[in-house]
Amino acid sequence: MDWLTEFPELGRRDLRDFRKGIDEGFKSFTREYGEGIENFFDPLLQFLIWLEKLLLATPWPLFILIVAGLGWLASRSIKIVIGSAVSLFLIGYLGMWEDTMSTVSIIIVCTLLCIGLGLPIGIMMSRSNRAQAIVTPVLDVMQTIPSFVYLIPVVMLLGIGKVPGLISVVIYALPPMIRLTNLGIRLVDREVLEAADAFGASPWQKLTQVQIPLALPNIFAGVNQTIMMSLAMVVIASMIGVTGLGQPVLKAISNQYLAMGLLNGLAIVALAIIFDRISQSYGKRLQNYRGGQDE
Amino acid sequence: MKKQILAVSLLAASTGAFAGGHAPCGDVVIGEMNWASGEFLARVDGLIMSEGYKCNVEYLTAGTMPQITSMTEKGTPDIASELWANAAAVAIDAAVAENRLVKLNPAPITGAGEGWMVSAAAAKAHPELKTIDDIIARPDLFPHPEDPSKGGLHNCPSGWGCQLATANLFRAFDMEAKGWKLIDTGSGAGLDGSIAKASERNENWLGYYWAPTTLAGKYDLKLVDFNSGFDQDHWDNCIVKPVEECDSPKRSTWTVSEVVSLAQVDFTERAPAVAEYVKARTFDADLLNKYLTYMADNQASGEEAAEEFILNEEATWSKWVSEDAAAAIKKAL
Repeated sequence: MDWLTEFPELGRRDLRDFRKGIDEGFKSFTREYGEGIENFFDPLLQFLIWLEKLLLATPWPLFILIVAGLGWLASRSIKIVIGSAVSLFLIGYLGMWEDTMSTVSIIIVCTLLCIGLGLPIGIMMSRSNRAQAIVTPVLDVMQTIPSFVYLIPVVMLLGIGKVPGLISVVIYALPPMIRLTNLGIRLVDREVLEAADAFGASPWQKLTQVQIPLALPNIFAGVNQTIMMSLAMVVIASMIGVTGLGQPVLKAISNQYLAMGLLNGLAIVALAIIFDRISQSYGKRLQNYRGGQDE
Repeated sequence: MKKQILAVSLLAASTGAFAGGHAPCGDVVIGEMNWASGEFLARVDGLIMSEGYKCNVEYLTAGTMPQITSMTEKGTPDIASELWANAAAVAIDAAVAENRLVKLNPAPITGAGEGWMVSAAAAKAHPELKTIDDIIARPDLFPHPEDPSKGGLHNCPSGWGCQLATANLFRAFDMEAKGWKLIDTGSGAGLDGSIAKASERNENWLGYYWAPTTLAGKYDLKLVDFNSGFDQDHWDNCIVKPVEECDSPKRSTWTVSEVVSLAQVDFTERAPAVAEYVKARTFDADLLNKYLTYMADNQASGEEAAEEFILNEEATWSKWVSEDAAAAIKKAL
């Protein structure tokens, strides 16, 4: 009865050859195409470096003013404005300004990329059930696969530094953007669409003037989630050489520096709360008209 | 019933073996390090002890610091085959002074060392780069990925001791003024990845690494000649300190890494024959690299590599063990 208790596994040698085959295949792929792929991503790298330099060159009062201004425009809440200004000031005062700017620059690029990629994919998914059936499992994989697993091939292809870090962050932060865009558009009332049809709207007009505006609160929730998840990935991205707040956290972990880890961790939290409050209250304000309709 | 018979016959077999050979060595816990060469050394020791000296071998796998702490505080493992003693020189020296631990073999590996290394491609394409000064003069050969006008030196991940030493030596060699920038690798995996990527594509690479390691062996990294003197006092009080605490770092060669086989004193008394073996065994750097490369190429475990070693290198290991043990190991093959 051995065959019942012993799992019929691939022989040790076969398994090894199998793994070796995959590894060798990937290695020859990187040798062949690695440089081309690296060149392909070069504009992105240049943009990242440019943005980081820009943020670092921006006088700090100006940066705080811009964030506070954005907070006011988005939320019209004095509490949010003061809260963001004070926490940014504290971050700078505690010596984390430069790392914070690096982190902000990578988060901005990541968010822009996620919106640029996620919006069209989400729209495509909402228009075709087949596309949804194909994309959904891919999103599941992207969200659940341990990030260390794809760090290996990303580093082999692109080396260490900003771009591979950005890619691993995008892989993790993109799914909510796609999912919520898809959901938002699918949730638009059928009657509204029928009304649009009755007015003779073309599919493009329907999409840009009816569906997307009505889905905006959900899309904004997606942007918000994307920002939150990319901030959560900052520490992992630092493991492959992305500068920013993640690096002192890693250093603190390996050296048991309690205060250093706590301060930098709290700076990430502060950034997250600032981004979250601003984007969420903007999303909420977009929904205000709904309250008006119901009353 | 069947089990009992098996147990009895096993007992008979083992006592039979003792009768012909050494006194029983009993239970041994081997501290297995959680990196490739540490795994390999521990498994070779384990195989030789269990087959040659009929020890009852167990492995305890951990990193350097937990091993040392456990050895000094808990009295186990009995032996650590490959221990990088610099990491906790004070604790080890204290335990040695109290006659609890003994540096059974002061150099189980020849050619062990750390420092700045260049990739094989760089060493081959530019034989004129003989010392660190030659390399520093050519930042264009090692472009920084984010700023190609500068040269890039891959530093250790933050938090490792070597990060401070590299950063201070970077200042000591005045590399910033000569067009260089440090590259932060973020983690051990990041550092390894940068080496694998550069070596697979025959690119130039310069950075910190150590040997014997899978990567240094597999990709044939070359240690850079630092062409400087060494002052232990300056190294201990400046080079390995944070940048703020080292005002004027001076150029220096890398400190010599002390790699030892560390054992509990009571274990050496319990199993003197095994202790003799540990004292005698030395892995030559090329030999070790051969098996580390074998492990990397075949994704083999330390255990498999150790079996391979015992099978193929009889001429080497038979010199380390007593005749009886050699005969027993050969029989087990």
